[in-house]
Amino acid sequence: MPVLSKNRASDLRLCFEAIVATLPLAIAVIPWGILTGALGLEIGLSAWQAQAMSLFVFAGAAQISALSLMAGGASLQSLFGSTFVISSRHLLYSIVFRQRVIELPIAWRAAIGFVLTDEMFAVSEAKTRQTGHFSALYALCSGWTFYVIWNLATWAGIVIGDSIQDLESLGLDFAIAATFIAMTFNELRRFPVAATIVASGLVAVLIKPLFPDGYIIIAAVIGMCVGFFLSDDDDKSFNASEGTK
Amino acid sequence: MIIWLSILGMAIITFVNRYLFFIEGFRFKPSAQLTRFLEFSSFAILTAIWAPIIFVVDYGNGTQGFEFNLEHAGLDYLVATTAAALMTVLGVRSIIVVVLSTGLFFCLRWFL
Repeated sequence: MPVLSKNRASDLRLCFEAIVATLPLAIAVIPWGILTGALGLEIGLSAWQAQAMSLFVFAGAAQISALSLMAGGASLQSLFGSTFVISSRHLLYSIVFRQRVIELPIAWRAAIGFVLTDEMFAVSEAKTRQTGHFSALYALCSGWTFYVIWNLATWAGIVIGDSIQDLESLGLDFAIAATFIAMTFNELRRFPVAATIVASGLVAVLIKPLFPDGYIIIAAVIGMCVGFFLSDDDDKSFNASEGTK
Repeated sequence: MIIWLSILGMAIITFVNRYLFFIEGFRFKPSAQLTRFLEFSSFAILTAIWAPIIFVVDYGNGTQGFEFNLEHAGLDYLVATTAAALMTVLGVRSIIVVVLSTGLFFCLRWFL
């Protein structure tokens, strides 16, 4: 499975498409990146430490939660426990991606794994469903686009601090909702998919106040079970996404 | 020092969660059933992320027994989300849906 094709122009176009598809999501998290940088300094991290967190941990929700735990003087165990629960949904992405990347050289697998975020998973899976096959180059470009913007936003937060607090009320998070709807509702006509969406959305809203760390993974697994039990092995539409389209 | 240790630990945890199933030596072949289960993952996770942006449930602070209040984001969110959903179901390309609905969202925000 070669990653780059012989055709450089088509590779470049693929990269460009990945960047364009990722941009709305990347822009939407800029306020959170700024918050992460500013909050880091506020609770006593050095500029390098605040930036290092985005450079090496690169997980928005886990970072923000960790910073508030650190501010409260939490133990390392509770810090790591919360990080694990929040980022456990990446295990699911990892399983889904396994059959797509396992043949790649280790450097490519590491480079893709390191930037495997919600946003990259969403963008890449949408592309795979659309074209019928997975593109490692597309996933990589999407993931690293997101990485660069997240780190620039963190850096901005470190430099300018929280002097622009109104950023969160700008409504940039709408772009997340719009993009994720655009990536999932196109298959709403398939009953098991519709049921999955309703179940996981409903559960997420209902349990978020009870499990602020784990609500995404809990709701997702429940939604996936609903879809699984309502579909059957003969569902041809699913096999199409594995390359026979 | 403790901060660097925290950052290192978190970096290891998040990377392991992402890379675990990319390990070659890790013998793991998803069965047909597991594959079918995983086909629903993107629909389930993405919905679990965006739905709470629009709808929030408040169970109160526990002092007055069981409370249940469903709150929702402003009209700008509701209308633009509905528009995005409708356009998508009608088969509009996803990048166009994102651009149009986000444009509509900020127009509504401006005028409301």
